[in-house]
Amino acid sequence: MTLWSVAAKNTLRNKFRTTMTVLGGAVAVIAFIMLRTVLDAWNVGVEYAAKDRLGTRNKISFVIPLPKHYIDDVRNDIKGIKSASYCDWFGAKWPKDPNEFFANLACSDNIFESYPEMKVDPAVLERWKADKKGAIVGDVLAKKLGMHVGDKVVLTGSIYPGDWEFTVDGIYTAPAQSPVDRSTFFFHWDYKNEGAPAQMKNLIGWIVTRVDDPSQSAAVSASIDKLFDDRDMQTATMSERAMNNSFLGGISSILDALNIVSVIILVIMMLILGNTIAMAVRERTTEYGVLRALGFEPGHIRAFIVGEAITTSLLAGLVGVGLAYPFVQMGMGKWLEENMGQFFPYFRVNPMTALLALVLTVLLGAVASLLPAVRAGKMEVTEALRRIA
Amino acid sequence: MSAIVELKGVSKTFYRGKEPVPVLENLDLQVEEGAYEALMGPSGSGKSTLLNLIAGLDKPTSGTAKVAGQDLTNMSDGELAHFRADKIGFIFQAYNLLPVLTAAENVELPLLLTKLSSSDRKTRAKTALRVVGLEDRMGHYPRQLSGGQEQRVAIARAIVNDPTILVCDEPTGDLDRKSADEILALLEKLNKEFKKTILMVTHDPAAAERAGVIRKLDKGQLQ
Repeated sequence: MTLWSVAAKNTLRNKFRTTMTVLGGAVAVIAFIMLRTVLDAWNVGVEYAAKDRLGTRNKISFVIPLPKHYIDDVRNDIKGIKSASYCDWFGAKWPKDPNEFFANLACSDNIFESYPEMKVDPAVLERWKADKKGAIVGDVLAKKLGMHVGDKVVLTGSIYPGDWEFTVDGIYTAPAQSPVDRSTFFFHWDYKNEGAPAQMKNLIGWIVTRVDDPSQSAAVSASIDKLFDDRDMQTATMSERAMNNSFLGGISSILDALNIVSVIILVIMMLILGNTIAMAVRERTTEYGVLRALGFEPGHIRAFIVGEAITTSLLAGLVGVGLAYPFVQMGMGKWLEENMGQFFPYFRVNPMTALLALVLTVLLGAVASLLPAVRAGKMEVTEALRRIA
Repeated sequence: MSAIVELKGVSKTFYRGKEPVPVLENLDLQVEEGAYEALMGPSGSGKSTLLNLIAGLDKPTSGTAKVAGQDLTNMSDGELAHFRADKIGFIFQAYNLLPVLTAAENVELPLLLTKLSSSDRKTRAKTALRVVGLEDRMGHYPRQLSGGQEQRVAIARAIVNDPTILVCDEPTGDLDRKSADEILALLEKLNKEFKKTILMVTHDPAAAERAGVIRKLDKGQLQ
């Protein structure tokens, strides 16, 4: 027997209350883990961004296009790059379900050179390059919409009006932890350009460049922007990480709010635990008086109370992590990746998130018990014992 | 025999708000080592306050209190805690065992403050339980024991660190006559065989008669 084991045994004194407190804490831990996993999922593109990839967009805004001939200027005039491709946001809808959102991009034929993470069979790539109306679709999107190789599919344009017919030439896959969305529909920019209204022809959304030496990324970025400094439309070139970051910047307030809410949830748990501990301390005033009479010092009493709070919060953390981890890893995460891959390409609990939840829970549990512990430590022995006199 | 408790001119005043409430007034007391004394008196006469002062749970407002050779008057809270752990064994009316600990663990509890090894602590707890006749109830929780057995475990807890003085506050107050007699017999045994000095506050004349000396307290004064 140790002082710690006595504190730990005290948690079992009122089993119902401890169980409810542990379950309440566990629910808070689950909510914390879920919210942090959502944040991680949205940041996965930033975390796993390729170091040798640069994005070039219109300096004013991502939504204002660039002239198509800019790609030729980049390819011809910029040194130290191994490939340059381009894309444009097509924004068409799936007519069978217009609410179904997925990225459909009109890109240059060499787009897959820029994204080696996307695995496409070379034979499929050749077939696609030769097929003007061909499309290559992410495996998650294909599964979700029931697309198969050889299928004829029609998308309804919203930016570019009309019905657009495509043939699914192939399916690409990609590792879950990558900046690549497995729910994208790629097709030829030339096909889009042919069918686009006159005022929308010869425009591209952005340029993707791969540099020979990642350490030279900053210099290459600067040289690209310098190239277009004197033109009507200036460019902003940045690393893929920065570009993905700026993309998230649009929803940064939502991310910040989620971040704050995740911590608030744990603080609420701390207050609940603090209340439970305060109740337990009030009920055991006499007992603490007896311990003091036996020779235990105020520090021992404080340690008993904080130890009990740490035990309870540790249990809550373990139950919460123990439930959230398998729930996300074995069920919810896979479902989200397959059905909402465009928002959650990788939805798994980061072990660091689980560890953070556990550490924060224990830490906040200890903090919650400080006030009752300090009060109990200050209590006069005779005052505490008076209840039994 | 020398005095193990020596109070001189001890007064204790509590405050109800700003109003002083004197409980003990200019009290002198000497208790010889190895004595078994009962302290009687009506409620509010100051019995428990006097016991608290002797046990180092409280300090006198004025006067000096020497117990087991130590002057408690100017001791810090930490020093008083060490004094209680070393010199005093407490026996309460309501037993006050920790319900989550077994009888053996309850008895071992005060030894957690010592440097004894785990096995030594267990051995001493077992010995103390043998003295009170509960060696066969070591693994029982307080809820599995009768009132008399609980009080015997509490007595084992009080003697496990071999204190100089046993301080008993109404030790038989919650017990039936038969159990009370068993507890009083046990206290007598501890006094006679183990030479423990015993100070007992009681309302029960039958319990007081078992003590060698009966002192009566009224309105803060020894009669």
